Amino acid sequence: MSELFKKWFLSKRPAGSRVANLETSFDVNITLRKLKRYRPAVSDLCHYGFLGSVLLFVFIVNPLPWIFKIALYFFVGTLFMLPATSQFFFNALPILTWLALYFTSSSFSVDYRPPITVQVLPAIETILYGDNLSDILATSENKAMDLIFWLPYGIFHFGAPFVVAAILFLCGPPTILRGYAFAFGYMNLFGVMMQNLFPAAPPWYKNLYGLSPANYSMKGSPGGLARIDEYFGINLYTSGFSNSAVIFGAFPSLHSGCATMEALFFSYVFPKLRPLFIFYVCWLWWSTMYLTHHYFVDLMAGSVLSYVIFQYTKIFHLPVADGSMYSRWGYGEVVKFNLYQADPLSVSPNDIESLQAPLTLETDFELNSMNNSASPSIFDNSRSVSRSSGTSNTSLDIQEEVFSSPRLNNKQRID
Amino acid sequence: MQKEMVHLPKSFLGFLPLYAGVELGLGISILNKCSGFYGILALFTGHQLDFMQWVFYLFSAFTLVVYSIGLRQVNKPNLLSFSLVLVIFTLDTALTCFFTVWFSAAWFSAEAQEFTDPKSTTIQSAGAAIGPGKELNPRGKTLESQSASQSYEFFFTILFTVITLVARFYFNFIMVAFVQRLLRHPKYMVDQDDVEQNLKNRSFFQRWWIKSEKSCYKFCRRYLA
Repeated sequence: MSELFKKWFLSKRPAGSRVANLETSFDVNITLRKLKRYRPAVSDLCHYGFLGSVLLFVFIVNPLPWIFKIALYFFVGTLFMLPATSQFFFNALPILTWLALYFTSSSFSVDYRPPITVQVLPAIETILYGDNLSDILATSENKAMDLIFWLPYGIFHFGAPFVVAAILFLCGPPTILRGYAFAFGYMNLFGVMMQNLFPAAPPWYKNLYGLSPANYSMKGSPGGLARIDEYFGINLYTSGFSNSAVIFGAFPSLHSGCATMEALFFSYVFPKLRPLFIFYVCWLWWSTMYLTHHYFVDLMAGSVLSYVIFQYTKIFHLPVADGSMYSRWGYGEVVKFNLYQADPLSVSPNDIESLQAPLTLETDFELNSMNNSASPSIFDNSRSVSRSSGTSNTSLDIQEEVFSSPRLNNKQRID
Repeated sequence: MQKEMVHLPKSFLGFLPLYAGVELGLGISILNKCSGFYGILALFTGHQLDFMQWVFYLFSAFTLVVYSIGLRQVNKPNLLSFSLVLVIFTLDTALTCFFTVWFSAAWFSAEAQEFTDPKSTTIQSAGAAIGPGKELNPRGKTLESQSASQSYEFFFTILFTVITLVARFYFNFIMVAFVQRLLRHPKYMVDQDDVEQNLKNRSFFQRWWIKSEKSCYKFCRRYLA
């Protein structure tokens, strides 16, 4: 086993590279030293301030006996202090916060809960998407479809986050798992907060009660999953959904949000398999509507939430994935996405004006080294000419020509 | 025209480069345009589509393809195809406004029927029973007060609709600003050869595509450059 691991993963490691290494120490002092040196940025303060206040709120509101709550927080605190465990658990803080809030959601007092809306979601669905899509797609039922749509909704959804995390950890660039935990945790956290602040009835409610007003004494319903319970002679989904923590949490759909997040991260690391991931998301969308758990607008809200958070994470946290590597040990260094370098408009149009005048050495050198690290030689001429005959003239090319072959300065440009 | 465009956004949300906004706007639109396929899928369940729905779903499916092409090249934009994406996006914004009004009318008439139709599962005249004006209870004290009043439902319906439209317009302006920058950027100059290429050996779709790109480019250059 370890031989295979070495052969497949470690053999590709660049000499002296340590970026993929993990902490194995259990020495608290290491964490304390790190903490002393740590100077938080504004974004860090927002991040920890926000998660900390949610956790404090959960700590106060959760109906568990105080002794349990204190013991639990103490246990998690210990995991954070040990370097070997903290590298995973500390980065999973958004996920832990989401789970804490989710499992506390059922205990909120009815006095503070916002009123339940019944008509908003079907109304928005018709207004924005032209029809009650979820309603229509749930009309024809049969056993084969039940099973086909049960798979992503009732099975894959619960296992996929772990599988995705494991594969990202092994095959993605180092530190991508942190980004995934951040994005996945925040997406679910915001989702649960929205579900609590804007309680809305799912489609199964409309099937049972029409547009009649709802109240918090009502039980949840498994929707189409009741048929699955029937086929297998179990009571898993009926009991689970009847006592769900957020019964009127149709908006947004976190099933859709999770699937989208998983698909986005996988597409980021394995761009060639993107159609497969898109297929999974579409399949899950269909099954949520078929099983009468969500309106189409909920699915969109979940996916859009995921997409926005993914884009944010990509810009500010994610390491750049290299298509030629298939494991974390292949990476020699962790390169972060550069927002301004990737900007197609980053070179200001004024540069073209200053081209004819001698450029300052610094810019000139930098731009030149970006494109071509070899020193200019007489052979550059022919190459520059052939490159400039391409249909799109990049200003980088132009600058290089100016640097490497002064003769070309006189050449008339079409643009 | 030139003067009106002076106030186009220079960055996305005030701190991100424009392309980040374009990427986000196109991505969100693509997700939403998937509704086209699900709308057409509804045919398999025996559901009939009316004319407006057909137009809406087919147009959604078409825009989905165009936006996907746009999204793929956000980091290495091609001015010709981005002009087309911009024109389609703007047309889509206009049509979205129209369809929003059209389908709102459809929903509110259907909803009114729901409350008066004795065959529906809705408690009859529920809308009137929980309307404001009855005795006020602290929230949560009675079961009725736990459900949204008719005005609350209506307010949120309108709020969500307006938010999506506002977001749509904002992204549209981001797209316009982005394409304007591309037009003025020497790096993305379009060669005359690109515009006047020979199309005889191309398929019908490709010819149509390139021709539309060209006319959209000319249109954008006229009003934005």
